[in-house]
Amino acid sequence: MSAHIKELTKGIFRENPTFIIMLGMCPTLAVTTQVINALSMGAGVLFVLFFSNVMISLLKNVIPDCVRIPCYVVIIASFVTVVEMIFHAFVPSVYNALGVYLPLIVVNCIILGRAEAFANKNSVLDSALDAIGMGTGFTLALTLIALIREASGNGTVTLLGIGDWNGVINIPIFSKWPVKVMSLAAGALLLMGYLKAFFIWKSSVSVKKEVKP
Amino acid sequence: MKKYIKVVLVLTSICAVAAVLLALVNSVTAPIISLHEEEAAMKALEEVSCGMEIGDRTDMTESETVNHYYKLHIAGGVTGGYILDLSGKGYGGALALVACYDPNGKLLAAKIVSENETPGVGKKATLSGYMDKFIGKGTQFPIPTAKRMLTDEEAIAVSGATMTFTGVSKALAAGSELVKSLGGK
Repeated sequence: MSAHIKELTKGIFRENPTFIIMLGMCPTLAVTTQVINALSMGAGVLFVLFFSNVMISLLKNVIPDCVRIPCYVVIIASFVTVVEMIFHAFVPSVYNALGVYLPLIVVNCIILGRAEAFANKNSVLDSALDAIGMGTGFTLALTLIALIREASGNGTVTLLGIGDWNGVINIPIFSKWPVKVMSLAAGALLLMGYLKAFFIWKSSVSVKKEVKP
Repeated sequence: MKKYIKVVLVLTSICAVAAVLLALVNSVTAPIISLHEEEAAMKALEEVSCGMEIGDRTDMTESETVNHYYKLHIAGGVTGGYILDLSGKGYGGALALVACYDPNGKLLAAKIVSENETPGVGKKATLSGYMDKFIGKGTQFPIPTAKRMLTDEEAIAVSGATMTFTGVSKALAAGSELVKSLGGK
């Protein structure tokens, strides 16, 4: 049981795909201008990662080794197209905002990486838990970056509008004096560097604690 | 030989299952997507109709730039203008515009409804104010289709996005010519 929990939680902090393994950097830097875009991209990746990991784990003994990568790409691309059609139909504003980064989930290193490194060697349950953990870790990382960037760079936090509410929350000080660089690409790289440094420091502290008798 | 047959069978089966899954999802989402697109097109027409009543649609099969047009009616059923659905070619490929003209071919309003231009460069054409350089032109003054026909300030504003400017301006100019040929009919 504890091994299953370990598979589920490792992606959130210990092996976080964004801050520790440093995968999926292009969408991370590109879509984190608004919190809603980060949450939607995270949800899309989580959906694709879960179903592709489960399918690849199920078919691992059927797929010949010499054509495993084309098979993985077909499976992943199919689920990405499903996500694309669902977003286009039900959340068109998010579909337009994510633009080219939505179909590019096909080549997201996290998904192909987990298929190759985990799903084709492990059971369906472990692969599903790995996908949920990694997808959640990616979503949380994107949301954290987007929250800091949007709040400080634009003075707002944009969520999904419901009914008459447009989904925009104004942040008192930053809405008057926004730190503009944070909403630009340079701000994304700066913030990513600081967060990476924080995660390295936090990991090293945890390792030291484990080493001490 | 057996190995190759297995490879072909596995790949074909995966592709077939994927195609069935996509067809099922498409059958659910396609009508909703099409409804959204129709609503967006209607909204764009209303935005450029200048408060006039939108009349019947006429399809244009022989024109490459003008896809179809709607007659606009003012009080008493008199033709007050036309809304044209136009196609242009920008830096990122096809541009779709809707533009409103008076019966003499003067541009009253225009809006880009779909594009794939570069963010921060060609995409500026979607911002409010971009169409100001074209509005009111088409009769006494021609619609500017080259940078030399713009004021210095306007030329600086489109600098770096010449292909987008050319695509938009040529479509609007072609629309004006078509409206003139209709002669208020």
